[in-house]
This record gives sequence, C-alpha cells and structure tokens, in this order.
Amino acid sequence: MRARSTASGLALALIAAACGGGGAGGVGDNTPQGEEITAAPSDAQASLFVFGATYETGDEIAKTRVDRFQELYPSVDVEFSESGFEEQPFLSALASGDPPDVVNIPRNQLGTFIARGVLDPLDSCLEAEGIDMGVFYESAVEQVTVEGVAYAVPEFFNSRLWMINTKAFEDAGLNPDEFDFSDWDAIADANEKLTKGGNRPTRLGIDPKLPEFLPLWAVANGTPVISDDGMESQLDDPAVAEALEFANSLHEPAGGRTSFLDFRDTWDFFGAKNQFAQDQLAAMPMEQWYLTVLAEASPDVDLTVRPFETRDGEPITWADGNSWAIPAESQDKAAACAFIRAMTEKDAWLAAAEARAQTAKKENQPNTGVYTGNREADEEIFANLDLGEWPWLEEAVQVVRDVQEHAWSLPPSPASAQFENAYKAAGDEVMNQGTDAEQVLTQADERVQREIDRAAR
Amino acid sequence: MSANTGLTNQQREFRWAMVFMSPWIVGFLVFMAGPMLWSLWLSFTDYDPLRANTAFVGLDNYRELLVDPEVRTSLWNTVFFTVFYVPGTIASGLALALLLQRVGRAVGFFRTAFYLPNITPAVAVGALFLLLLNGRDGLVNQALRAIGLPGPSWLNDPAWIKPGVILMMLWSVGSTVIIYLAALQNVPRDLYEAAEVDGAGAWHKFRYITLPMISGAIFFTLIINTIASLQLFTEVYAMFFGGQESGAAGQAALFYVIYLFRNAFEFFAMGYASALAWVLFVVIGIITVIQVKTSKRWVYYEGD
Amino acid sequence: MAVQPAPRSLVPSVSRPEAVVDTTTPDGFGPGRVMRKAVFVVALVAVTALFVYPLIWLLSASLKPPAEVFSSDFIGSEVRWDNYTRLFQMAPILTWGWNSLVVTLLGATAVTFSSAMVAFAFSYFRFRYRDGLFLLVLATMMLPGAVLMIPQFLIWDGLGLNNTLYPLWAGNLFGSAFYIFMLRQFLLTLPRELFEAARVDGAGYFRLWWNIALPLTRSALIVVFLFELKVLWTDLVRPLIFLRDVQLFTLPRGLKAIIDNPAIGGQQQWELLAAGSVLVTLPMVVLFFIFQRYFTEGIATTGSTGR
Repeated sequence: MRARSTASGLALALIAAACGGGGAGGVGDNTPQGEEITAAPSDAQASLFVFGATYETGDEIAKTRVDRFQELYPSVDVEFSESGFEEQPFLSALASGDPPDVVNIPRNQLGTFIARGVLDPLDSCLEAEGIDMGVFYESAVEQVTVEGVAYAVPEFFNSRLWMINTKAFEDAGLNPDEFDFSDWDAIADANEKLTKGGNRPTRLGIDPKLPEFLPLWAVANGTPVISDDGMESQLDDPAVAEALEFANSLHEPAGGRTSFLDFRDTWDFFGAKNQFAQDQLAAMPMEQWYLTVLAEASPDVDLTVRPFETRDGEPITWADGNSWAIPAESQDKAAACAFIRAMTEKDAWLAAAEARAQTAKKENQPNTGVYTGNREADEEIFANLDLGEWPWLEEAVQVVRDVQEHAWSLPPSPASAQFENAYKAAGDEVMNQGTDAEQVLTQADERVQREIDRAAR
Repeated sequence: MSANTGLTNQQREFRWAMVFMSPWIVGFLVFMAGPMLWSLWLSFTDYDPLRANTAFVGLDNYRELLVDPEVRTSLWNTVFFTVFYVPGTIASGLALALLLQRVGRAVGFFRTAFYLPNITPAVAVGALFLLLLNGRDGLVNQALRAIGLPGPSWLNDPAWIKPGVILMMLWSVGSTVIIYLAALQNVPRDLYEAAEVDGAGAWHKFRYITLPMISGAIFFTLIINTIASLQLFTEVYAMFFGGQESGAAGQAALFYVIYLFRNAFEFFAMGYASALAWVLFVVIGIITVIQVKTSKRWVYYEGD
Repeated sequence: MAVQPAPRSLVPSVSRPEAVVDTTTPDGFGPGRVMRKAVFVVALVAVTALFVYPLIWLLSASLKPPAEVFSSDFIGSEVRWDNYTRLFQMAPILTWGWNSLVVTLLGATAVTFSSAMVAFAFSYFRFRYRDGLFLLVLATMMLPGAVLMIPQFLIWDGLGLNNTLYPLWAGNLFGSAFYIFMLRQFLLTLPRELFEAARVDGAGYFRLWWNIALPLTRSALIVVFLFELKVLWTDLVRPLIFLRDVQLFTLPRGLKAIIDNPAIGGQQQWELLAAGSVLVTLPMVVLFFIFQRYFTEGIATTGSTGR
C-alpha cells in the first residue's frame, strides 16, 4: 500500500514538474521585447551555436564570410549545426529551452516563429551594429518585417524566371526572346507543340512546377495566395483556382502527371547530362541559382532566360531566400548580432564573390556571381562580372538583375507552415485526384484561415 | 517469523509483491496512466509548447477534425490499407504455413529464411522498397515486364502508392507464417486419420479440421495485425515524409499516424494532435471489440 | 490458445513426423505424385527467393557503380567498396552505430530485468487484486503508442532530457507488459516446492528471484533480451521525436537522414542509400543467425515478435 501511494505521489510530482517545466522550458512567456544590445567589441569572447547553416560542407560563399567574421572577432567560437534549417529540430530545441544562438531560417518560414514570439525583434541589434535595412531589397525586407519591426536580416535573394531551351523553341517555330509569357493560351499552345513523345514523353514542353510554384502562377493571374499582411488566406479566390487549373493542364500533352513525373525523375538534374543539355525539356520556371548549376555542369548549353510575366504583361518574380535571426532566448545576443552583421554586409559579400570568381577562373568556368539580399553588394558584384565567353549567361544575369526589382514574396503569416502545407496539399489533390480546383481550394482556405486566426491570437 | 517483523506472512508477501511490481507501477502511472489523462486534457486545449497562453477550447479540436480534409484523406488511406493488408497477410501467411508444413526436417532453414524480412529494420525496408518499387528500373517492375505485364509507377502514381505499401508490408509475413506453422503442428493427427476413414478429401479436411483447430491463432493474428496496421508509421514515413518534399506521394501516402505526427511535432499543434490520437484510440477500441465479439462465432477453443 | 511450458521444446518438429509430412495423397506412387512434388518444390523455392533475394540484391546494389545500381546482375562491372568509404566520410556512421549500441544494450538489459521482477510478482506471490492487476497489465498492451507520444515528449522535456539518449531506453526500466506476460507464463511452470525449500532455508524473496527464478527461466530471459534488442535497434519513432543533434542519432534515424538529404545520398545516389541500408540491417541479420533458435521459438510461443 505504501509503495503504491509513494509511486503515485512521485508520478504526480513528475507530471506537475513537466507541466510547469513545459512553460518555463519553453519560450512562450515572453512578449517580444528585444534586449538592449550593444555593439560587440572585436575582442569579444563568446561561443555561438548557429543552427541551419553549414561550414564544413558549405561552399566558398559561406566559408569566406565565416572566415572573415572569425578574423574580425577572433575570440568568438562558432559552431554550426551542419544541416539546413529544419522545423522540427528547431521547435524541439526551443521547447527544451536549449535554443541556438543564431538561426538561419528561410524567409517564408519566419511567420510562425515571429507569431510565437520566439525570435528577438532586431531593433536594438540593427542600431548597435549599424545595419541599415534600406540596403536590402524591398521584398526581402517585407518578408522579415512584422508590424514595422524587423526580426531577421535577409541573406540570399532567389528569384524565379523562365529558363528556356532555345533550340527546342526555335525548332517549334517559336522565338524564345519574344515569346509572350503573359498569354496563357499561347503557353498552352506552345506546350503542345513542344511536348514530344505523347504518353511516354521524350521531351516535356513546359514544366509548371506544381504544387510548389502555385504562388507564382496565382500572383501572375492577379491574386496572391495570401493577403499582404499574411492574415487572410486568398486560396478561395477564383483567380487562384484558375491559375492552379491552368498550370495543371500543362501536364496533359505528356500523358498526365504520372507519366510527366516518371519522365522527370529520369533527368540528371544537377549533372552534365541535364534536361537542357539533353533536350528533355523546353521550358520551366526556376530559381536563378540553377544558372550556376548549369554554368558548372554544362556551360555550353543554349539557354534563354526570360522574366515571368503577369497576364497583364508586367514582369514579375516570386522571390525568397533565407535570413538570419536571433532566438529570444539566445545566450549571447551581442555576439550573435555581430555575426549577423558580418555575414550580410557588403564587404562580406564582396569577399565571397571574389572567392567565387577565383574558383571559377581556376576551373575555367563562368563566374555567375552571387545574388545576395543586399542591393549595394549586388551592384558591385555584378558590375565586375565578366561573362563574355558565355553570352547566354551574360544575358541571363541581366534578366535576373532586372527582375529583382519586380519581386513579390510570401508575406510572413502566423501560420506559415500550415499555409504552405495547405496550398501544396490542395495542389496535390487537384493534380492527383482530379478534384475540382475551386472546391479543393475553398476547403483548404477555410481550414487554413482558422489556423491563421488561431495562431494570431 | 512473524514474531520478528510483527506482520503476518500474508502482509509481508503483499509488501514484497509490491516491491517487485514497483517498476511496472511507476512506469504505468508516469508513462501510461498519467499521459493518457494528460493527452485527453490536451485534446480539449490548443496547447502549443512555445506559446504562453494555452486556452481551453472544449470540443473545438474534435469539430475541426470532422471537417479537416486531411483527416478524411488519412483515415481513408489507413482503412484502405488495413482492409487489404490484414486479410492478405492472414491468407498468404496461412498458405505459406501449409506449404512449409510438408517440408520435413529442413523446416528450420525455411523458417529462418521467411523471417529475414522481419528482422530488417523498418527504415531499411522503406529504403529497400524505394529502390525495388522504382517505376523505371526497380526490380519489381523488371520482373513484371519480364512476364509481359506493364510496371506501374509505384512511387509517383497516387493510385499505386498504397498497393506498393501493401506489397512492402506483405513482405514481412514471415512472423505470421511461423505462428500458423506452430498452430498447424499442434493439430492432433488422429483427427485427420478419423476423417480419412470417413472418406474426407483434402479440402474437406482443411475446411472442417484444420481451420477450426487453428482458428485461435488466426483470431490472434487478426487482432494484432489490425491494431498494428491502423497505426502504420515508420516504413511510410521513412519513404515519403520528413525532410523531403513529399511530391506525388503527398496525399496518397498520408496515413493517419503520420498526419498526427506532423501536427504534433512539425506544426506543434499538440492540442489538435491529441484529439486525433484519442479518435484513433476509440476507433481501434471499437474495431477490436467488434472483432472479439464476432469471434465467438468462428473461433474454436479446445475446451468447447 | 494453449500455453507451452518452458522445459519442453517449444517447437514441435521432427519429433512428430506424422504431423509434418502429409502422406495421404490418394495417388500413392506414380506420375501424379511426382508432379505434385515438383510443383511443391518449385513453389517453395520461389517463395523463399521472394523473402531472401531482395536482401541479397540490396547487398549487391550497395557495391555497384552508381549507374548500375538497378541492374539485375549480381555483380556490377566493378565492385565498389568505396561506396562504403564514401558513406563513412559523408555521415558519422560509427557514431550512429555506437549510439544504437548503447541504447539497445541498456534498454534490453533494463527491460529484461524489470519485466522479470514484475513477472515474479505476478507468478510467485499470492495476494488480493493479483488477477485484477494482471488484467490491467494486459490491457495496457492495447494502448496505441500514438496517444502516449505527445505527453511522453512533454514529460521527458520537462525532465530536461530531450535531445539525449535517455528517452530512447530509460522507459524500459519499468518493464513491459508483453514481456511480463511472457515471463509470467514461464515462471508459473516452476514447481513451487523449489521456492518453498529455499524459504525454509531462510532465503529472502530477492534471493528467490535472483538465485532460483532467473536461472531457471534463462532461455526465456534470453528470448526477451533478443526481442527487445531487435525492437530497440530498429526503432525510428523515438529518435525522431527526441533527438535533434545529428551526432546523437541512432542508425535508423541516420538512415532516414540519408534518405532525406540529397547531398549525402537520398534519391540521387542510390548506391549510398543501399550501402546505408545494409549497414543498418547487417547487425540484425548476424544476431538473428546466431540466435535463431531463440527467435523462432519465442515467436511460436508468444505469437508475436516483441512489443
């Protein structure tokens, strides 16, 4: 009897501790009040754990900037998680009260964390280290700002554009430089002409990149998938359904999505025998970093790059990238702030770009530059780029640079993870089950709107 | 003895029994009973470990469940799988056990061979089948094409993803075979002999002697496999979810516990996830009770 | 279902040959019978191949050059041992293996002894509520893990033990219903006189357990230990929930990370995925071959394969 009551008493105590512990261990108690941060002196001693970034397995763009930081702050120890950002481990770390000191988060995932109050507002950090948000691209800044307060500093800038297999277009009687991408009927026609092989395709016409690129198609059709403040899901807007249905219809000439995907799986996407080099694809919207991949893998490919267009004929791109943030419970915010500054300032980027230029020259490959979120850095980097040997790349880079000013981004939303899941799941269902797009999207909209409202509480 | 301790033998036995039982008691209270109640309570809240303010939302989570399209999808997927997998594994397990029964001395070797898939870690099974079911080059499709059948796109075609999963799980039928084999070997020989004297054929013997005599084992595997398949997680999660884009599999491979896991640990919506868990518990309970109640009609016990 | 007592062999095999080979074919000797036998053998071989070949293929695939992974040739144009060395370079396989070993051995030991303790309580002692409590133990076997997952995460978190190896095995310190059930069956078959004699000689209850009960149920304890080894080694759910640091991963969790990460292996480098799968599976295969008797007897008795 005694043994038993002791046991239950112990159990209750443990449970109580866990209940209370959950709150104390978690970060939720704070309302986000950034601590006052002062600039870290160069002899500052600190130890930083950086989550969501790699060093050992990173490229020269990453290493150069980190090395430069080390030189500026030799007594700061930096350790990397050597992994990309993953939501589950990050959440778990926060819940256990063991957060990283600095975190690298994709900008379109910031919303959930900001709403939960686990990221520090960066006002005092920006001031202490003299970071001017004005040097970053507007759309990037919008992604990291909620109610006028910045919670992260943009790192890279990824835009999405049309990448076109020049020869495929020309063979079909289409002019890749002048094709009207605002005319969706023309796109559909071209798709039919460009697809080869029918149900067992040997070349795909236009890859709509569904469901991931649904936001791009939707904004091109006039209605972004979510309102600018990230609070109202607009998935139930007929324009979004129209965009989804249109993009989905591009799978038809290849025999439907399954045979489309089966063929796509065979591509050597990152290799020398990629789908452009092997004439397996006519066109697709893609992030600009793929240009770098092509430049290294198959520099002699004949590619035309064009901006994505709205149906009104305006150039547009869907931009995102990652960013650096400081968890509210970070141990050493001054050092973290210095780290962030050092990773995103112009000189850091210039050094990184220089390193890339050197590597490219050594390997006799084109130097494709680096698309930072920092407009000033970009201007200098791209002014110094010499791509004469590769005219296709020279033109492509110019297109990317131009379109960066016409960027739309997913605004931060309190339920950003669920929202992304919602539109992808809706896209999947329409593509795979053939369910009516408007029906699926309306359901998804209702559900995710509830999530957003709840998260915003 | 009792003079030494002032307790009766019975009391001392009781105490010591408690001492020996204490590990389980502690474990039960802390890791089972407590969590059960806690999870029930959570299901009535909107608990998120990172938020300070947890609200009691009553039946909201349960109402949400009813209209959530992904709940419908995942329930459908799970039930579909169970309905095909459980009878499939019982039938094939039985067939193979009957096959093995005629083997003689070498049965040990075959038992070992049949059981190999069961000791393969579930993640490795998932990885293995990612390779075997590859639409273009996987072994399964190579074999199908060799006999003139078209090889479907097991991993990309949403219509074939579940059949592919069923195939994968059927590969582990070995443990069921071993159970049935043991049960078959326990059927008394004289029953068969008596039937032969009366002129019974093979089918007759099977239907009226074998089946009833092993019905206990069949019943057991029915219950165990149903409960397990309603909670299928590891192999499918390893193949289609986690760090990667789920792609075509997205909705077709979304099993109930996977959806639960996502809500709990990827969205941190633990209140909602707890509601999902309790619904599963109730569903499993109901199905098990039904199976047990209807078992009286067809399960034969030695003592009857 | 009838319960098999411990001392007798659990596998009724060749001791009752009549139960094993069906000699009642009506054809007697003749072409019909030979045909049947041939079909039987073919079926047996085909089925066995279905179970065994995929694993053999996996092994061969792991040693092939990347472009040939899917070919049905047994050996590729060259044997690529470097698939494994590359894998070791790209991922901390040895660390993962060590973590798996620690968790598995600690957990299996813990559950064996704790379950043996509890089983002893239910078999030797006589007290009120004994049968009711035992039914409760059995009932807990029906609890779906999904219901307990979240609160258990919160409990371990509250104890500050998230992102350590403890949650992966420490739950085993409290016994497990399945093994308690199984061990109790065995203990019940031990003659009570053995214990009474020891009690008369002044032995305390603990000694009864340690010196009599345990040694006499040795083979059952080994079965429990082995089953739990397999369960722990192959577990993915607990590492998924509790582990964050890549350095703490167990092998299955590590394999999952490889599947997910195109940079390491994943869906672009199938040969590395195959190699990783082989590494995770091989220890289990070896363990199984050495101890197969215990495994198969254990399944036949209990009708299951561990929790």
